[in-house]
Amino acid sequence: MSLRLLKYAFIEDYAEPCWFNTPATLGESYDVIIIGAGGHGLACAHYLAHDHGINKVAVLDRSYLGGGNTGRNTTIIRSNYLTPEGVAFYDASLALFRDLSDALDTNIFYSERGHYTLAHNESTLRTARWRAEVNKHYGIDSEVVDAEEVARAVPGIDLACGGNHAVEGALYHAPGAVARHDAVAWGYARQASRAGVEIHQHTEVTDILVEGGRVTGVVTPRGTVRAGAVLSAVAGHTPSVLAMVGLNSPIEIFPLQACVTEPVKPWLDTIIVSGSLHLYVSQSARGEMVMGASLDPAELHSRRSSFEFVSGLADGMLDLFPGMAGLKVNRQWAGMADMTPDFAPVMGTTPVAGFYLDAGWGTWGFKATPISGKTMAATIANGRDDPLIRAFNLSRFDDFSLVGEKGAASIGH
Amino acid sequence: MKYADFPLLGRRPFTEFSISGVLEPEPAELGEWTAARWVFERTSVPRERVEWWYHGASRLWFLVRRDTGSDTILAIEPARTGSRS
Repeated sequence: MSLRLLKYAFIEDYAEPCWFNTPATLGESYDVIIIGAGGHGLACAHYLAHDHGINKVAVLDRSYLGGGNTGRNTTIIRSNYLTPEGVAFYDASLALFRDLSDALDTNIFYSERGHYTLAHNESTLRTARWRAEVNKHYGIDSEVVDAEEVARAVPGIDLACGGNHAVEGALYHAPGAVARHDAVAWGYARQASRAGVEIHQHTEVTDILVEGGRVTGVVTPRGTVRAGAVLSAVAGHTPSVLAMVGLNSPIEIFPLQACVTEPVKPWLDTIIVSGSLHLYVSQSARGEMVMGASLDPAELHSRRSSFEFVSGLADGMLDLFPGMAGLKVNRQWAGMADMTPDFAPVMGTTPVAGFYLDAGWGTWGFKATPISGKTMAATIANGRDDPLIRAFNLSRFDDFSLVGEKGAASIGH
Repeated sequence: MKYADFPLLGRRPFTEFSISGVLEPEPAELGEWTAARWVFERTSVPRERVEWWYHGASRLWFLVRRDTGSDTILAIEPARTGSRS
Protein backbone atom coordinates (compact mmCIF):
# COMPACT_ATOMS: atom_id res chain seq x y z
CA MET A 1 0.00 0.00 0.00
CA SER A 2 1.31 3.44 -0.87
CA LEU A 3 1.98 5.99 1.86
CA ARG A 4 -0.43 8.35 0.15
CA LEU A 5 -3.25 5.90 0.76
CA LEU A 6 -2.07 4.94 4.25
CA LYS A 7 -2.19 8.51 5.54
CA TYR A 8 -5.95 8.65 4.93
CA ALA A 9 -6.38 6.07 7.67
CA PHE A 10 -5.39 8.78 10.17
CA ILE A 11 -7.23 11.73 8.63
CA GLU A 12 -10.86 12.32 9.54
CA ASP A 13 -11.59 14.52 6.52
CA TYR A 14 -11.14 12.10 3.68
CA ALA A 15 -9.60 13.95 0.75
CA GLU A 16 -11.89 12.46 -1.90
CA PRO A 17 -15.44 13.67 -1.27
CA CYS A 18 -18.35 11.28 -1.75
CA TRP A 19 -19.35 10.89 -5.39
CA PHE A 20 -23.04 11.37 -4.75
CA ASN A 21 -25.46 12.31 -1.96
CA THR A 22 -27.29 9.62 -0.12
CA PRO A 23 -29.89 11.54 1.91
CA ALA A 24 -30.97 9.63 5.00
CA THR A 25 -34.66 10.17 4.38
CA LEU A 26 -36.76 9.80 1.28
CA GLY A 27 -38.76 12.96 0.52
CA GLU A 28 -42.56 13.11 0.33
CA SER A 29 -42.66 14.50 -3.19
CA TYR A 30 -40.44 15.23 -6.18
CA ASP A 31 -40.99 16.72 -9.63
CA VAL A 32 -39.62 13.60 -11.29
CA ILE A 33 -38.97 10.07 -10.00
CA ILE A 34 -36.63 7.90 -12.02
CA ILE A 35 -36.83 4.15 -11.40
CA GLY A 36 -33.44 2.56 -12.01
CA ALA A 37 -30.02 4.00 -11.05
CA GLY A 38 -28.23 2.66 -14.08
CA GLY A 39 -26.48 4.70 -16.76
CA HIS A 40 -29.72 5.64 -18.53
CA GLY A 41 -31.62 6.71 -15.40
CA LEU A 42 -28.68 8.69 -14.01
CA ALA A 43 -27.99 10.33 -17.39
CA CYS A 44 -31.61 11.43 -17.56
CA ALA A 45 -31.36 12.87 -14.02
CA HIS A 46 -28.18 14.75 -14.99
CA TYR A 47 -29.69 16.26 -18.15
CA LEU A 48 -32.96 17.14 -16.36
CA ALA A 49 -30.91 19.25 -13.94
CA HIS A 50 -28.26 20.46 -16.39
CA ASP A 51 -30.34 21.20 -19.52
CA HIS A 52 -33.75 21.98 -18.03
CA GLY A 53 -33.13 23.24 -14.48
CA ILE A 54 -35.29 20.45 -13.00
CA ASN A 55 -33.41 19.19 -9.95
CA LYS A 56 -36.19 18.09 -7.61
CA VAL A 57 -35.53 14.59 -8.88
CA ALA A 58 -35.13 11.27 -7.06
CA VAL A 59 -33.44 8.26 -8.66
CA LEU A 60 -34.58 5.04 -6.95
CA ASP A 61 -32.98 1.62 -7.36
CA ARG A 62 -33.91 -1.72 -5.82
CA SER A 63 -30.22 -2.60 -5.66
CA TYR A 64 -26.99 -0.63 -6.02
CA LEU A 65 -25.92 2.04 -8.51
CA GLY A 66 -24.92 0.67 -11.92
CA GLY A 67 -25.40 -2.95 -10.80
CA GLY A 68 -27.72 -3.97 -13.61
CA ASN A 69 -26.96 -4.00 -17.31
CA THR A 70 -24.82 -0.84 -17.00
CA GLY A 71 -22.20 -2.89 -15.18
CA ARG A 72 -22.78 -6.07 -17.22
CA ASN A 73 -22.39 -4.96 -20.85
CA THR A 74 -19.22 -5.25 -22.89
CA THR A 75 -18.86 -1.43 -23.26
CA ILE A 76 -18.83 -1.16 -27.06
CA ILE A 77 -19.85 2.19 -28.58
CA ARG A 78 -20.63 2.54 -32.31
CA SER A 79 -23.15 4.18 -34.63
CA ASN A 80 -23.08 2.01 -37.77
CA TYR A 81 -26.79 1.19 -37.64
CA LEU A 82 -29.15 0.34 -40.47
CA THR A 83 -32.17 2.66 -40.32
CA PRO A 84 -32.04 6.47 -40.72
CA GLU A 85 -33.68 6.84 -37.27
CA GLY A 86 -31.14 4.51 -35.67
CA VAL A 87 -28.12 6.08 -37.36
CA ALA A 88 -29.12 9.63 -36.35
CA PHE A 89 -29.83 8.56 -32.76
CA TYR A 90 -26.69 6.49 -32.13
CA ASP A 91 -24.44 9.01 -33.88
CA ALA A 92 -25.72 11.75 -31.56
CA SER A 93 -24.83 9.42 -28.68
CA LEU A 94 -21.33 8.87 -30.00
CA ALA A 95 -20.82 12.64 -30.27
CA LEU A 96 -21.81 13.04 -26.61
CA PHE A 97 -19.58 10.13 -25.57
CA ARG A 98 -16.53 11.75 -27.18
CA ASP A 99 -16.80 14.79 -24.87
CA LEU A 100 -18.22 12.97 -21.87
CA SER A 101 -15.02 12.83 -19.79
CA ASP A 102 -14.87 16.64 -19.88
CA ALA A 103 -18.60 17.15 -19.46
CA LEU A 104 -18.77 14.90 -16.40
CA ASP A 105 -15.35 15.84 -15.00
CA THR A 106 -14.75 12.08 -14.81
CA ASN A 107 -12.32 10.04 -16.86
CA ILE A 108 -14.51 7.45 -18.60
CA PHE A 109 -11.47 5.96 -20.40
CA TYR A 110 -13.08 6.54 -23.79
CA SER A 111 -10.88 4.75 -26.31
CA GLU A 112 -11.50 4.69 -30.09
CA ARG A 113 -10.45 1.29 -31.38
CA GLY A 114 -12.12 0.77 -34.75
CA HIS A 115 -14.85 -1.83 -35.11
CA TYR A 116 -14.81 -4.76 -37.56
CA THR A 117 -17.99 -6.71 -38.29
CA LEU A 118 -16.66 -9.78 -40.08
CA ALA A 119 -18.52 -11.30 -43.02
CA HIS A 120 -18.03 -15.02 -43.60
CA ASN A 121 -20.34 -15.32 -46.61
CA GLU A 122 -21.84 -13.34 -49.47
CA SER A 123 -25.14 -12.51 -47.76
CA THR A 124 -23.43 -11.01 -44.70
CA LEU A 125 -21.18 -9.01 -47.01
CA ARG A 126 -24.30 -7.72 -48.77
CA THR A 127 -25.76 -6.49 -45.45
CA ALA A 128 -22.37 -4.91 -44.68
CA ARG A 129 -22.48 -2.98 -48.00
CA TRP A 130 -26.04 -1.87 -47.28
CA ARG A 131 -25.05 -0.65 -43.81
CA ALA A 132 -21.97 1.12 -45.19
CA GLU A 133 -24.07 2.98 -47.78
CA VAL A 134 -26.72 4.04 -45.24
CA ASN A 135 -23.94 5.13 -42.87
CA LYS A 136 -22.04 7.13 -45.52
CA HIS A 137 -25.26 8.80 -46.62
CA TYR A 138 -25.64 10.13 -43.08
CA GLY A 139 -22.00 11.17 -42.83
CA ILE A 140 -20.80 8.28 -40.68
CA ASP A 141 -17.35 6.80 -41.15
CA SER A 142 -18.14 3.27 -42.30
CA GLU A 143 -16.82 1.17 -45.18
CA VAL A 144 -16.54 -2.38 -46.46
CA VAL A 145 -12.98 -3.76 -46.45
CA ASP A 146 -11.63 -6.98 -47.94
CA ALA A 147 -10.10 -9.95 -46.13
CA GLU A 148 -6.50 -8.75 -46.74
CA GLU A 149 -7.29 -5.47 -45.00
CA VAL A 150 -8.72 -7.42 -42.04
CA ALA A 151 -5.55 -9.54 -41.89
CA ARG A 152 -3.37 -6.40 -41.86
CA ALA A 153 -5.34 -4.75 -39.06
CA VAL A 154 -6.06 -7.74 -36.82
CA PRO A 155 -3.09 -9.66 -35.46
CA GLY A 156 -3.45 -13.38 -34.89
CA ILE A 157 -6.66 -13.80 -36.86
CA ASP A 158 -7.13 -17.02 -38.85
CA LEU A 159 -8.90 -15.82 -42.00
CA ALA A 160 -9.69 -19.42 -42.97
CA CYS A 161 -11.41 -19.66 -39.60
CA GLY A 162 -10.51 -23.29 -39.01
CA GLY A 163 -11.34 -24.13 -42.64
CA ASN A 164 -15.09 -23.96 -42.10
CA HIS A 165 -16.19 -20.39 -42.70
CA ALA A 166 -13.46 -18.20 -44.19
CA VAL A 167 -13.57 -14.43 -43.59
CA GLU A 168 -14.49 -12.75 -46.90
CA GLY A 169 -14.45 -9.14 -45.74
CA ALA A 170 -15.78 -6.84 -43.06
CA LEU A 171 -17.71 -3.70 -42.32
CA TYR A 172 -15.18 -1.31 -40.78
CA HIS A 173 -16.35 1.52 -38.52
CA ALA A 174 -13.37 3.63 -37.44
CA PRO A 175 -15.16 5.52 -34.61
CA GLY A 176 -16.01 2.24 -32.81
CA ALA A 177 -14.90 2.65 -29.19
CA VAL A 178 -14.90 1.23 -25.68
CA ALA A 179 -15.27 3.04 -22.34
CA ARG A 180 -15.45 2.16 -18.66
CA HIS A 181 -19.14 1.52 -18.01
CA ASP A 182 -18.93 2.03 -14.23
CA ALA A 183 -17.24 5.39 -14.75
CA VAL A 184 -20.11 6.51 -17.01
CA ALA A 185 -22.71 5.66 -14.34
CA TRP A 186 -20.66 7.18 -11.50
CA GLY A 187 -19.84 10.29 -13.52
CA TYR A 188 -23.52 10.95 -14.24
CA ALA A 189 -24.37 10.21 -10.59
CA ARG A 190 -21.80 12.71 -9.38
CA GLN A 191 -22.91 15.51 -11.70
CA ALA A 192 -26.61 14.90 -11.03
CA SER A 193 -25.94 14.82 -7.32
CA ARG A 194 -23.96 18.08 -7.45
CA ALA A 195 -26.99 19.67 -9.10
CA GLY A 196 -29.29 18.54 -6.28
CA VAL A 197 -30.64 15.23 -7.54
CA GLU A 198 -31.15 12.58 -4.82
CA ILE A 199 -30.01 9.01 -5.42
CA HIS A 200 -31.63 6.37 -3.21
CA GLN A 201 -30.15 2.89 -3.56
CA HIS A 202 -31.83 -0.20 -2.12
CA THR A 203 -35.22 1.49 -2.53
CA GLU A 204 -37.47 -0.73 -4.59
CA VAL A 205 -40.55 0.65 -6.29
CA THR A 206 -43.30 -1.86 -5.53
CA ASP A 207 -46.20 -0.01 -7.14
CA ILE A 208 -46.93 3.09 -9.22
CA LEU A 209 -49.93 5.25 -8.35
CA VAL A 210 -52.20 6.25 -11.23
CA GLU A 211 -55.31 8.43 -10.71
CA GLY A 212 -57.60 9.29 -13.61
CA GLY A 213 -55.08 8.09 -16.20
CA ARG A 214 -52.27 10.21 -14.70
CA VAL A 215 -49.27 9.19 -12.62
CA THR A 216 -49.26 10.62 -9.09
CA GLY A 217 -46.42 8.80 -7.35
CA VAL A 218 -44.76 5.54 -6.41
CA VAL A 219 -44.89 3.15 -3.47
CA THR A 220 -41.68 1.91 -1.83
CA PRO A 221 -40.97 0.00 1.40
CA ARG A 222 -39.69 3.38 2.71
CA GLY A 223 -43.03 5.05 2.08
CA THR A 224 -45.16 6.54 -0.66
CA VAL A 225 -43.60 9.32 -2.71
CA ARG A 226 -45.58 11.78 -4.84
CA ALA A 227 -44.43 12.86 -8.30
CA GLY A 228 -46.08 14.17 -11.44
CA ALA A 229 -43.63 12.38 -13.70
CA VAL A 230 -42.18 8.87 -13.38
CA LEU A 231 -39.58 7.40 -15.71
CA SER A 232 -38.99 3.66 -15.90
CA ALA A 233 -35.37 2.91 -16.84
CA VAL A 234 -35.11 -0.65 -15.55
CA ALA A 235 -34.06 -2.77 -18.58
CA GLY A 236 -34.80 -6.41 -17.69
CA HIS A 237 -37.53 -5.54 -15.19
CA THR A 238 -39.53 -3.38 -17.62
CA PRO A 239 -42.52 -5.77 -18.05
CA SER A 240 -43.02 -5.93 -14.26
CA VAL A 241 -42.94 -2.12 -13.97
CA LEU A 242 -45.32 -1.75 -16.94
CA ALA A 243 -47.74 -4.12 -15.20
CA MET A 244 -47.89 -1.60 -12.30
CA VAL A 245 -49.47 0.99 -14.62
CA GLY A 246 -51.56 -1.54 -16.56
CA LEU A 247 -49.57 -1.35 -19.79
CA ASN A 248 -48.41 -4.18 -22.03
CA SER A 249 -45.49 -4.20 -24.44
CA PRO A 250 -43.79 -6.52 -26.92
CA ILE A 251 -40.70 -6.69 -24.67
CA GLU A 252 -39.38 -10.16 -23.84
CA ILE A 253 -36.61 -10.86 -21.34
CA PHE A 254 -33.70 -13.08 -22.37
CA PRO A 255 -30.39 -13.52 -20.52
CA LEU A 256 -27.29 -12.24 -22.32
CA GLN A 257 -23.99 -13.61 -21.07
CA ALA A 258 -20.42 -12.34 -21.25
CA CYS A 259 -17.03 -13.27 -19.84
CA VAL A 260 -13.44 -12.05 -19.47
CA THR A 261 -10.17 -13.92 -19.57
CA GLU A 262 -7.14 -13.42 -17.39
CA PRO A 263 -5.26 -10.24 -18.33
CA VAL A 264 -2.53 -10.47 -20.97
CA LYS A 265 -0.23 -7.98 -22.72
CA PRO A 266 -2.00 -5.67 -25.20
CA TRP A 267 -2.27 -7.43 -28.58
CA LEU A 268 -5.76 -6.66 -29.94
CA ASP A 269 -6.43 -2.93 -30.35
CA THR A 270 -9.66 -3.21 -32.37
CA ILE A 271 -13.14 -4.54 -31.68
CA ILE A 272 -14.05 -7.73 -33.56
CA VAL A 273 -17.60 -8.92 -34.16
CA SER A 274 -18.67 -11.99 -36.10
CA GLY A 275 -22.40 -12.36 -36.53
CA SER A 276 -21.97 -15.70 -38.29
CA LEU A 277 -19.91 -17.23 -35.47
CA HIS A 278 -22.07 -15.42 -32.87
CA LEU A 279 -19.20 -13.81 -31.00
CA TYR A 280 -17.47 -10.54 -30.31
CA VAL A 281 -14.23 -9.66 -28.56
CA SER A 282 -12.16 -6.65 -27.51
CA GLN A 283 -9.28 -6.19 -25.10
CA SER A 284 -9.87 -4.05 -22.02
CA ALA A 285 -7.43 -1.45 -20.72
CA ARG A 286 -6.52 -3.99 -18.03
CA GLY A 287 -5.58 -6.57 -20.68
CA GLU A 288 -8.53 -8.91 -20.24
CA MET A 289 -10.20 -10.28 -23.36
CA VAL A 290 -13.85 -9.20 -23.05
CA MET A 291 -16.07 -11.63 -24.95
CA GLY A 292 -19.71 -12.32 -25.62
CA ALA A 293 -21.86 -14.50 -27.83
CA SER A 294 -25.61 -14.88 -28.37
CA LEU A 295 -28.70 -14.37 -26.32
CA ASP A 296 -29.82 -17.43 -24.38
CA PRO A 297 -32.37 -19.43 -26.41
CA ALA A 298 -35.39 -19.00 -24.12
CA GLU A 299 -37.06 -16.34 -22.02
CA LEU A 300 -35.71 -16.34 -18.47
CA HIS A 301 -35.87 -13.86 -15.60
CA SER A 302 -32.55 -14.71 -14.01
CA ARG A 303 -28.91 -13.67 -14.14
CA ARG A 304 -27.55 -17.17 -14.00
CA SER A 305 -24.62 -17.94 -16.29
CA SER A 306 -24.01 -21.29 -17.99
CA PHE A 307 -21.24 -23.60 -19.09
CA GLU A 308 -22.88 -23.97 -22.54
CA PHE A 309 -22.21 -20.27 -23.05
CA VAL A 310 -18.43 -20.41 -22.46
CA SER A 311 -17.96 -23.70 -24.29
CA GLY A 312 -19.95 -22.50 -27.31
CA LEU A 313 -18.12 -19.16 -27.32
CA ALA A 314 -14.69 -20.81 -27.06
CA ASP A 315 -15.55 -23.07 -29.99
CA GLY A 316 -16.02 -20.12 -32.36
CA MET A 317 -13.37 -17.91 -30.77
CA LEU A 318 -10.60 -20.48 -31.26
CA ASP A 319 -11.57 -20.88 -34.93
CA LEU A 320 -10.99 -17.14 -35.31
CA PHE A 321 -8.07 -16.64 -32.89
CA PRO A 322 -6.26 -19.98 -32.40
CA GLY A 323 -3.66 -18.16 -30.29
CA MET A 324 -6.17 -17.67 -27.49
CA ALA A 325 -6.24 -21.41 -26.79
CA GLY A 326 -4.11 -21.09 -23.63
CA LEU A 327 -6.13 -18.28 -22.02
CA LYS A 328 -8.18 -18.97 -18.91
CA VAL A 329 -11.61 -17.47 -18.37
CA ASN A 330 -11.59 -15.45 -15.16
CA ARG A 331 -15.22 -14.41 -14.76
CA GLN A 332 -18.55 -14.92 -16.50
CA TRP A 333 -21.90 -13.31 -15.80
CA ALA A 334 -25.29 -12.52 -17.31
CA GLY A 335 -27.65 -9.60 -17.63
CA MET A 336 -31.38 -9.58 -18.38
CA ALA A 337 -31.88 -8.10 -21.85
CA ASP A 338 -35.26 -6.51 -22.68
CA MET A 339 -35.63 -7.53 -26.32
CA THR A 340 -38.00 -5.90 -28.82
CA PRO A 341 -39.27 -7.45 -32.09
CA ASP A 342 -37.49 -4.86 -34.27
CA PHE A 343 -34.25 -4.51 -32.23
CA ALA A 344 -34.95 -0.81 -31.62
CA PRO A 345 -35.68 0.69 -28.18
CA VAL A 346 -39.06 1.70 -26.76
CA MET A 347 -38.80 5.30 -25.56
CA GLY A 348 -40.84 8.34 -24.69
CA THR A 349 -44.41 9.07 -23.68
CA THR A 350 -46.96 6.33 -22.97
CA PRO A 351 -50.78 6.18 -22.83
CA VAL A 352 -50.49 6.91 -19.07
CA ALA A 353 -49.96 10.67 -18.63
CA GLY A 354 -46.75 11.45 -16.74
CA PHE A 355 -45.40 7.90 -17.13
CA TYR A 356 -42.37 7.74 -19.39
CA LEU A 357 -40.51 4.74 -20.71
CA ASP A 358 -36.84 4.22 -21.50
CA ALA A 359 -36.75 0.53 -22.31
CA GLY A 360 -36.29 -2.12 -24.97
CA TRP A 361 -32.54 -1.73 -24.74
CA GLY A 362 -31.97 -5.42 -25.34
CA THR A 363 -28.32 -5.87 -26.24
CA TRP A 364 -27.63 -2.31 -27.48
CA GLY A 365 -28.18 -0.04 -24.47
CA PHE A 366 -24.76 1.07 -23.21
CA LYS A 367 -23.80 2.93 -26.39
CA ALA A 368 -27.04 4.92 -26.13
CA THR A 369 -26.56 6.00 -22.50
CA PRO A 370 -25.83 9.74 -23.07
CA ILE A 371 -28.36 10.37 -25.83
CA SER A 372 -31.14 8.39 -24.17
CA GLY A 373 -30.60 10.44 -21.00
CA LYS A 374 -30.61 13.69 -22.96
CA THR A 375 -33.68 12.91 -25.09
CA MET A 376 -35.67 11.44 -22.18
CA ALA A 377 -34.88 14.54 -20.10
CA ALA A 378 -36.17 16.74 -22.95
CA THR A 379 -39.23 14.51 -23.32
CA ILE A 380 -40.07 14.74 -19.60
CA ALA A 381 -39.35 18.50 -19.42
CA ASN A 382 -41.57 19.26 -22.44
CA GLY A 383 -44.18 16.55 -21.92
CA ARG A 384 -43.81 15.33 -25.52
CA ASP A 385 -41.43 13.06 -27.41
CA ASP A 386 -38.10 14.54 -28.43
CA PRO A 387 -37.86 14.53 -32.29
CA LEU A 388 -34.86 12.18 -32.18
CA ILE A 389 -36.84 9.42 -30.44
CA ARG A 390 -40.28 9.87 -32.01
CA ALA A 391 -39.87 6.72 -34.10
CA PHE A 392 -39.19 4.65 -30.98
CA ASN A 393 -42.52 5.29 -29.21
CA LEU A 394 -44.44 2.31 -27.83
CA SER A 395 -47.33 3.13 -30.20
CA ARG A 396 -45.32 1.92 -33.21
CA PHE A 397 -46.48 -1.63 -32.53
CA ASP A 398 -50.14 -0.61 -32.84
CA ASP A 399 -49.39 1.15 -36.13
CA PHE A 400 -47.14 -1.61 -37.56
CA SER A 401 -44.44 1.07 -38.09
CA LEU A 402 -41.43 -0.83 -36.83
CA VAL A 403 -37.79 0.31 -36.97
CA GLY A 404 -35.97 -2.79 -38.26
CA GLU A 405 -32.48 -2.84 -36.75
CA LYS A 406 -31.86 -6.59 -36.57
CA GLY A 407 -29.37 -6.44 -39.45
CA ALA A 408 -27.20 -4.05 -37.42
CA ALA A 409 -27.17 -6.13 -34.24
CA SER A 410 -23.78 -7.48 -33.20
CA ILE A 411 -25.06 -10.13 -30.88
CA GLY A 412 -26.47 -13.36 -32.24
CA HIS A 413 -30.20 -13.92 -31.77
CA MET B 1 -25.99 -29.01 -19.04
CA LYS B 2 -29.66 -29.41 -18.21
CA TYR B 3 -31.55 -32.61 -19.03
CA ALA B 4 -35.16 -33.72 -18.75
CA ASP B 5 -37.13 -36.91 -19.41
CA PHE B 6 -39.18 -36.53 -22.58
CA PRO B 7 -42.04 -38.85 -23.57
CA LEU B 8 -41.01 -41.06 -26.56
CA LEU B 9 -37.37 -39.82 -26.41
CA GLY B 10 -36.15 -40.48 -22.88
CA ARG B 11 -33.53 -38.30 -21.18
CA ARG B 12 -32.34 -35.53 -23.53
CA PRO B 13 -30.28 -32.31 -23.06
CA PHE B 14 -32.17 -29.01 -23.52
CA THR B 15 -29.67 -27.92 -26.16
CA GLU B 16 -31.24 -30.40 -28.62
CA PHE B 17 -34.50 -28.43 -28.62
CA SER B 18 -35.60 -25.14 -30.05
CA ILE B 19 -38.27 -23.24 -28.17
CA SER B 20 -40.69 -21.49 -30.47
CA GLY B 21 -43.17 -19.60 -28.41
CA VAL B 22 -45.97 -19.88 -25.88
CA LEU B 23 -49.24 -21.78 -26.02
CA GLU B 24 -51.84 -19.06 -25.74
CA PRO B 25 -55.46 -18.96 -26.93
CA GLU B 26 -56.14 -17.01 -30.10
CA PRO B 27 -58.50 -14.04 -29.59
CA ALA B 28 -62.08 -14.73 -30.69
CA GLU B 29 -62.15 -11.70 -32.99
CA LEU B 30 -59.16 -10.29 -34.83
CA GLY B 31 -59.77 -6.67 -35.78
CA GLU B 32 -56.87 -4.43 -36.88
CA TRP B 33 -56.10 -3.26 -33.35
CA THR B 34 -56.49 -6.67 -31.68
CA ALA B 35 -54.36 -8.22 -34.44
CA ALA B 36 -51.49 -5.85 -33.65
CA ARG B 37 -51.81 -6.74 -29.97
CA TRP B 38 -51.97 -10.46 -30.77
CA VAL B 39 -48.86 -10.28 -32.95
CA PHE B 40 -46.66 -8.13 -30.71
CA GLU B 41 -47.75 -8.13 -27.07
CA ARG B 42 -45.99 -10.37 -24.59
CA THR B 43 -46.41 -11.14 -20.91
CA SER B 44 -42.73 -11.32 -20.05
CA VAL B 45 -42.84 -11.51 -16.26
CA PRO B 46 -41.59 -14.49 -14.23
CA ARG B 47 -44.40 -17.06 -14.42
CA GLU B 48 -45.37 -20.60 -15.31
CA ARG B 49 -46.26 -21.03 -18.97
CA VAL B 50 -46.62 -23.73 -21.60
CA GLU B 51 -44.14 -23.55 -24.48
CA TRP B 52 -43.72 -25.26 -27.86
CA TRP B 53 -40.45 -27.23 -27.88
CA TYR B 54 -39.20 -28.77 -31.14
CA HIS B 55 -36.74 -31.65 -31.26
CA GLY B 56 -34.99 -31.38 -34.63
CA ALA B 57 -33.46 -34.88 -34.78
CA SER B 58 -36.77 -36.69 -34.28
CA ARG B 59 -39.03 -33.93 -35.70
CA LEU B 60 -41.23 -34.21 -32.61
CA TRP B 61 -43.04 -31.30 -30.96
CA PHE B 62 -43.67 -31.12 -27.21
CA LEU B 63 -45.68 -28.90 -24.93
CA VAL B 64 -43.50 -28.02 -21.95
CA ARG B 65 -44.71 -26.26 -18.82
CA ARG B 66 -41.80 -24.14 -17.53
CA ASP B 67 -41.26 -21.58 -14.77
CA THR B 68 -39.53 -18.61 -16.44
CA GLY B 69 -38.28 -17.29 -13.10
CA SER B 70 -36.36 -20.37 -12.00
CA ASP B 71 -36.00 -22.24 -15.34
CA THR B 72 -37.70 -25.30 -13.83
CA ILE B 73 -39.53 -27.80 -16.05
CA LEU B 74 -42.86 -28.74 -14.47
CA ALA B 75 -44.49 -30.99 -17.09
CA ILE B 76 -43.80 -32.32 -20.58
CA GLU B 77 -46.31 -33.84 -22.98
CA PRO B 78 -46.11 -34.62 -26.68
CA ALA B 79 -47.98 -32.16 -28.90
CA ARG B 80 -50.83 -33.83 -30.80
CA THR B 81 -52.99 -32.95 -33.74
CA GLY B 82 -55.37 -30.40 -32.36
CA SER B 83 -52.86 -28.87 -29.89
CA ARG B 84 -52.81 -25.33 -31.14
CA SER B 85 -52.20 -21.84 -29.98
